[in-house]
Amino acid sequence: MINETELIERLKEGDETAFKTIVEQWQNMVYNTILGIVQNETEAEDLAQDVFIKVFEKIGTFKGDSKFSTWLYRIATTTALDHLRSKKRKKRFGFLQSLSGTSGEEKEQIPDFNHPGVSLDNKERAAVLFKAIEELPENQKTAYTLHKLEGLSYRDVSEVLNTTVSAVESLMSRANQNLRKQLEDYYNKHYR
Amino acid sequence: MTQQEKIQQEIEETLKSLDGVKRAEANPYLFTRIKARMNKRTGAWERTFSFVSKPLVALAVLALVMAMNGWAFFGTTSNEIPDNLTAESENAVMPVFANEYQVVASVDNYDYVENGNK
Repeated sequence: MINETELIERLKEGDETAFKTIVEQWQNMVYNTILGIVQNETEAEDLAQDVFIKVFEKIGTFKGDSKFSTWLYRIATTTALDHLRSKKRKKRFGFLQSLSGTSGEEKEQIPDFNHPGVSLDNKERAAVLFKAIEELPENQKTAYTLHKLEGLSYRDVSEVLNTTVSAVESLMSRANQNLRKQLEDYYNKHYR
Repeated sequence: MTQQEKIQQEIEETLKSLDGVKRAEANPYLFTRIKARMNKRTGAWERTFSFVSKPLVALAVLALVMAMNGWAFFGTTSNEIPDNLTAESENAVMPVFANEYQVVASVDNYDYVENGNK
């Protein structure tokens, strides 16, 4: 089994076998992170492909100052967030178009994303929680996803976000507060 | 238990719903798809490069560039200012020139400076 450093060196030389090993070794981690942020399986798969293409093209810029997985998480989260921003822009443009058209009414947000890793008894509740996560600010969403879905410690999250552990603690605390508020609104409307 | 307490309990349960979540698994053919996308991109560049590097295309582009250079050089010589241009005819040409090249002569500013100096 080749170690990580050797694998990276071989990838820098353009070795396809090394690239294949890297994809196979980290594909679930990348896919799961992206899926947690974009909450759409088809989009997550396309973005995971983008991430690995970026890795292949940019591996020369990886200096080894951080862990390879940290670097990979950074590319994955940035790619996912960029995608969400672009989607939001298109949505806004669509809304402006709808103002001049016929439909301007706001659709009700129905929780519809089911993460494949959630157990059957938690599916419904997790879908409601994902809907609330979707509304979080970018940095809170990233920290929450990395911690809850990828199981990263606050220290690891802080390395990915290039910040301090206390900043991550603060992000997580605010994320939890925001989620509680949103869930309260949701259950006040929908609780039977 | 009041409605509000039930809601609070529901919130707590919902927040815990991601505890012990398993990692989602990527498509097992992810690498094949990545390779296909990379080959498609490389293929597009290769096709462009091979078309541009064809001798016939390269010669045609070279001929076109030379023709444009020739036109730029010889074509402009016919527009040179004639030797017999007098001050009067030059004065007649200048407004046409100014109009052609959108030169806005701000006469008012000069007047203002002149008046100010007086």
